[in-house]
Amino acid sequence: MPLINLPAFAPDLLADFASLGTERVDTPVIQPAEPFLDMAGEDLRRRIFMTESETGESLCLRPEFTIPVCLRHIESATGTPRRYAYLGEVFRQRREGGSEFYQAGIEDLGEGDVAGADARAVHDALKVLANRLPGRTLKVVLGDQSVFEAVVAACGLPAGWQKRLIHAFGNQHRLRGLLAELSEPAAKGVFGAEVERLAILGILDDEARLESHIDGTMQATGYSTNASRSPAEIARRLREKMELASTRLDARTLATLRAFLSIELALADAPAALHDFARSHGLAIDDALSRFDARTRALAAAGVDTAAITYRSAFGRPLDYYTGLVFEIATGDDPAVLAGGGRFDRLMTLLGAKTRIPAVGFSLWLDRIEQAIARPADQATTQGARA
Amino acid sequence: MTVTIALPSKGRMKEDASEIFRRAGYTIASVGNDRSYRGRVEGRDDIEIAFLSASEISREIGNGTVDFGVTGEDLVREGLAQADERVEFCARLGFGHADVVVAVPEIWLDVETMADLGDVAADFRARHGRRLTIATKYWRLTQQFFSGNHGIQLYRIVESLGATEGAPASGSADIIVDITSTGSTLRANNLKILSDGVILGSEACLVRARKAGHDADPVVGEIIAAVRGAL
Repeated sequence: MPLINLPAFAPDLLADFASLGTERVDTPVIQPAEPFLDMAGEDLRRRIFMTESETGESLCLRPEFTIPVCLRHIESATGTPRRYAYLGEVFRQRREGGSEFYQAGIEDLGEGDVAGADARAVHDALKVLANRLPGRTLKVVLGDQSVFEAVVAACGLPAGWQKRLIHAFGNQHRLRGLLAELSEPAAKGVFGAEVERLAILGILDDEARLESHIDGTMQATGYSTNASRSPAEIARRLREKMELASTRLDARTLATLRAFLSIELALADAPAALHDFARSHGLAIDDALSRFDARTRALAAAGVDTAAITYRSAFGRPLDYYTGLVFEIATGDDPAVLAGGGRFDRLMTLLGAKTRIPAVGFSLWLDRIEQAIARPADQATTQGARA
Repeated sequence: MTVTIALPSKGRMKEDASEIFRRAGYTIASVGNDRSYRGRVEGRDDIEIAFLSASEISREIGNGTVDFGVTGEDLVREGLAQADERVEFCARLGFGHADVVVAVPEIWLDVETMADLGDVAADFRARHGRRLTIATKYWRLTQQFFSGNHGIQLYRIVESLGATEGAPASGSADIIVDITSTGSTLRANNLKILSDGVILGSEACLVRARKAGHDADPVVGEIIAAVRGAL
């Protein structure tokens, strides 16, 4: 059956991918659903098309390419580094737009030169978009999860708060709510009656004693045989929680975090601004910043105009396998994201790779690119053409 | 037009529903024998009764194949996407009380709130090589509550169609989302309800399918007013 809805520019896009030194891969449309639900969470269930095999295995129509491409790489047990390109249909239940549409992209697996691979992902995404939309302004927004993690760590916050903040990163609404909650004197942990009883008995002060008490209770109730969380884990986190309840996010730390999260400027100016920020707030985040500097230099060396990229400190994705770079590209006249990408160094091991494989990639929304091509060019360009 | 009311086909729910309708002035009788699944209201040819199971009632209201139904709010909200756009909860009937709750093992001394659970879920994969698992038959309510209200994404649902409260002890799931009326089954299984873990305080409701013809039908308004008056 001819793919009549395949965008007309698909062959050119594939030629671009080939010229960028990638290897084209395809993956079955019908995929096991487990890896997607495991990585993205149960919420995804409502947005994908699921079915079952005769033997009861959960299957779904491919909702995206990154996980299938990574799984295929792990199964084929080929070496790294590898640069895979894909183009094909994906299936998702969307509020707007059709539920089957094309995506294409590049996944760069196992490249040890992190800065170089990051820069290449942004460069390649910009290049293939510029070839589809010649003369149009392309706006890049870039963020970096690892800089936020370094700032949070350097603030010297209790471990429990660090985790909560890092987990909320990328979800602005939640992060703001969390900061407010952590700074409010009324924000105390809630403890059950049993914990209060143990406090009176003095068991809470001694982690080893607490752990053995939990162990004893588990044995007595018969829960321990299948316990998912060990006595040590529960004891550790209870102590962490008590630590959280007895300290407040002080005004200075709150101001530091808020100041960091409001940073937004041209990427070309970002390294200097971040070093100034770290110095003026007394934060030791040199490692994260030197990686940030190296990436910015690599982007410039790849011929990308870093003055035209916006660095936004609060930009991230609230998924736990993203580890560093994230970026999105849109045209100057429409907010629809045409390309999105990032670094996901944790994904390969989560999917079962035996060794740690660094990974970075991007995907393109071909339906939106088609719409952008069909739309009249940016105001400025149109006027320029008329003049 | 005939107005169809779906009522629970057996047990306590059937008796309680019939009693409310009797007080509202509608005496319900089975057509044929007692075990029949069709009923009528004495003296009213314009009202039909269908005796269905509670979960069927929520589905039939959602489809609009019946006009009214008496069933638990939990079943309606679990069974129908955008329930409030498709049905109207006309009256809460004061029986069939049950809460849909998030319950965790009592021995999780560090977990009392959804925020605590969010922390545990965020770390779970790194510690145990898999996501936190929730045993429940309430997929939709769980997803809405965890993702929508509490921003918790990283968990997996394990479908459980019975004896859900036994899942943590048997190891088939870490925690549960289930219905409870007194909490005694949860306590017997060494589970505790989180302090902010009540997803829904449910009870039997008179539920109306939002159908276009209802505005012009005086019987529809009459039934709602009569049932409300009987409470």
